[in-house]
Amino acid sequence: MIGTVFDIKELAVHDGPGLRTTVFLKGCPLRCVWCHNPEGLNPKPQLYVRKHACQNCGLCRKPCNHPDCQIFGRCLHICPQGLISISGKQMDADALAKKLRRNADMYAGGGGVTFSGGEPLLQAEFMLAVMDRLEGISCAIETSGYAAEETFRKVIGRMDFVYMDLKLADDALHRKYTGVSNERILKNLEILRHSGVPCVIRTPLIPEITDTKENLEGIQRILKGLPHELLPYNKMAGAKYPLLDMEYPYDAMQ
Amino acid sequence: MNEYLYQQIVIEKAHRVYRKTVGEIAEEYKKQSLAPAERMTRRFEWLCQQEEPVLLPGEKISFLRTVRNLPDVFTQDEWEKIRKEHFIHELGYQSNLAANYAKVLEKGLLALKDGADACTCRSIDAILGLTARYAEAARETGREDIACVLNRVPAYGARSFPEALQSVRIMNFAFWLEGNYHNCLGRFDQYAYPYFKKDMEAGVLSEAEALELVEEFFLSLNRDSDLYPGVQQGDNGQSLMLGGKRADGSCGFNKLSELCLIASRNLKLIDPKINIRVDKNTPDHIFALCSELTKAGLGFPQYSNDDVVIPGLIGCGYAPEDAVEYTVAACWEFIIPGVGRDVANIGALSIPKMVDICLHRDLRNCTDMAQFRACLREQIRRGCEEICQKVDRLWFVPSPLLDRIMDDTKYLNYGVHGVGMSTGADSLTAIEEHVFVKKDITADRLIRAVDTDFAEEPELLHLLRYETPKLGCDSEEADENLCWLMEAFADALQGRKNEFGGIWRAGSGSAMFYLWHTEDIGASADGRRKGEPLGANYAVSLFARPDGPFSVIRSMTKPDMKRVINGGPMTIEFHDSMFADEDATFKVGQFVKRFIHMGGHQLQLNAVNVQVLKDAQAHPEKYPQLIVRIWGWSAYFVELDRPYQDHVIARQEYSL
Repeated sequence: MIGTVFDIKELAVHDGPGLRTTVFLKGCPLRCVWCHNPEGLNPKPQLYVRKHACQNCGLCRKPCNHPDCQIFGRCLHICPQGLISISGKQMDADALAKKLRRNADMYAGGGGVTFSGGEPLLQAEFMLAVMDRLEGISCAIETSGYAAEETFRKVIGRMDFVYMDLKLADDALHRKYTGVSNERILKNLEILRHSGVPCVIRTPLIPEITDTKENLEGIQRILKGLPHELLPYNKMAGAKYPLLDMEYPYDAMQ
Repeated sequence: MNEYLYQQIVIEKAHRVYRKTVGEIAEEYKKQSLAPAERMTRRFEWLCQQEEPVLLPGEKISFLRTVRNLPDVFTQDEWEKIRKEHFIHELGYQSNLAANYAKVLEKGLLALKDGADACTCRSIDAILGLTARYAEAARETGREDIACVLNRVPAYGARSFPEALQSVRIMNFAFWLEGNYHNCLGRFDQYAYPYFKKDMEAGVLSEAEALELVEEFFLSLNRDSDLYPGVQQGDNGQSLMLGGKRADGSCGFNKLSELCLIASRNLKLIDPKINIRVDKNTPDHIFALCSELTKAGLGFPQYSNDDVVIPGLIGCGYAPEDAVEYTVAACWEFIIPGVGRDVANIGALSIPKMVDICLHRDLRNCTDMAQFRACLREQIRRGCEEICQKVDRLWFVPSPLLDRIMDDTKYLNYGVHGVGMSTGADSLTAIEEHVFVKKDITADRLIRAVDTDFAEEPELLHLLRYETPKLGCDSEEADENLCWLMEAFADALQGRKNEFGGIWRAGSGSAMFYLWHTEDIGASADGRRKGEPLGANYAVSLFARPDGPFSVIRSMTKPDMKRVINGGPMTIEFHDSMFADEDATFKVGQFVKRFIHMGGHQLQLNAVNVQVLKDAQAHPEKYPQLIVRIWGWSAYFVELDRPYQDHVIARQEYSL
């Protein structure tokens, strides 16, 4: 089974207990205006160019015969500074599991693997196939909670720890700033609450959008005592957009 | 912390106002045809007289250098003659030694005059004379407490923790003034502990007071450090070791060790350079404490693994009771305090150069990798032989005082750095993969590309640089090549004896050779361009894109480091956001623990923020106190020459 992975981060210190490796799965149904992982949005592989160091030598623009370069119209195998890469690698579940298992001794003492994204639930079957091959390794997920109830139930039942976002309590605002309704998310939150799986609900603090008194109070009313964590806004959040030839929507709103 | 003293010494540098310059003496000594030991003694006596006692307001630990310069004891011509007759290591004066401070603390200097030669006795009298003048000055300014301590130490044994600290400070001051350099502080938390414990148990010292004293002691080691010689400011060898196994096998980490970690974190100064010995039984809270210090960004502590180093040293012929006492010389070389006079940095083998020679001379004639390896093995043997042959009739200027505080010499081994291991291993992997396995690059093409710095071969450069397996990238082949190289290097020195009957130890340090060794080679087969620096010490290559910290330590702990045990840490840089909160900082400590459990020998872990470093290059005036780790020491970033600054920026950095 094949999935699309845009990053694998060893020694992720904010993604769950102990020493962990976080796997970032590509593709997300939400479009949060403040998203700091824009390469996680589109489920397809994308050209990723670290433009700020580019000296415009032009080598990558010369036509080449490499099959993998053709759809991008750029040569991926010539940049003298290694500035051009593809964000989104197609990986086989076996190969990914093997790579993760290699570090099994690092996970001793409560650590393990965390699946993040993008929205990892978009690739739920792939994720479960990888987990089938990670026996004995503790797994966690970072999710927006936006998925079909059945998928959500199935996946969290396999997790040792769940980080789930609740960004906005108000549905209209949720639609406005993330592109989708929070109805499914709230339903899945109740599933999570009754599942007994250890969890933390997270709210990213976006100035004047999620960090308002009204929103934070609304979230508290929904959570009714579930463990809650506030994530400070990442000032560098917009940095990756130009590298993907994308625009940072949060900037456009300012 | 004594804020006033900190402000005066670190920020205002007001203490420098007391400094004066003294004239040259070598011509006069030459005219009188004085013997070397006599010259050293005479200079030391003279300098002790030239020194003016200065007591800074509020200080509890005294002694401040007021003589700025250290006139040479030989003239230029004399040195030329000496260099013709002897192999002279660096400056010719003794360095990189850890004296037996415990001896002075227990017995005092007067007792050490028993059985000592005349020069030693005169040198002891000279430093005691200066101490007496300090005591007098203290009395005159109403500092009866200081006068009282100076009346006791270092003439006699210390009776209290403050006396012990003052005694160590005076001895350290005296070693520098005698003309020795890279004066190491050894296992401070072991030899000073009895005095600390006694005062704590007697209730005359509180923990807070003890911390303040340790801080002031550390501060005292920074008073004169701008006067010490080194490749760059900060390269002064004032290394201090904490923790580690005791002779009876128990854990030596104590309350004083903990206070040292805290003091260093509070002060944020380049001296002393904090090292710690750990092993597989070291409890988590010690790793956490260390990680808190790493977070401060000083490049402290550097970790050494007792489980590897002690057996490694025993394997080199050190007696178990000595091996267990090891500390580090200036940077990371393992030495034994008191009985060890190893010259742990006497040579450096450029591994990339060895590969480069074989690439040009042998590759075309080799039909498989085994043949190429055989050529390289022979070349490494020759390279080591050349280094060994160069060292003949080694001689140091004798130091009557330091020599007395050392013990009878049991070890006089030599150490050789193995520089650019990762560049060497990655180049081997590139040759193996492309010339012999895939056969997609011919030997001729590879050599031509390297010789022209890849000018006509951008695609080949990209392939070698970014798409060929490297250390830290989950490649069995690359890791295997590293293991092979380390073994070949160890084998090449194994069994060789130096002129004193000592052995030659292979090591994994680089010192400044990460820059210097790029001067006589061009590009390399791993895609390193001409002139691009090598990694610092035992690190992955600067432009490698490893899978992450786990993969890096997996590669770098694969070789049997017990055989390459001269010292030289695996070096890794983390973005400072890795230490964002207590939980994350704790996890970094757990990562270090994994490295130790996997058999890593030594680790240098640095918290850096490239953005800040770049800003400091542009606006040095904004960052006078910014500290970075260079190779085996830390320095004020803005005081470094540009190539060293750039290297720190270029090093691998893993961020969130």
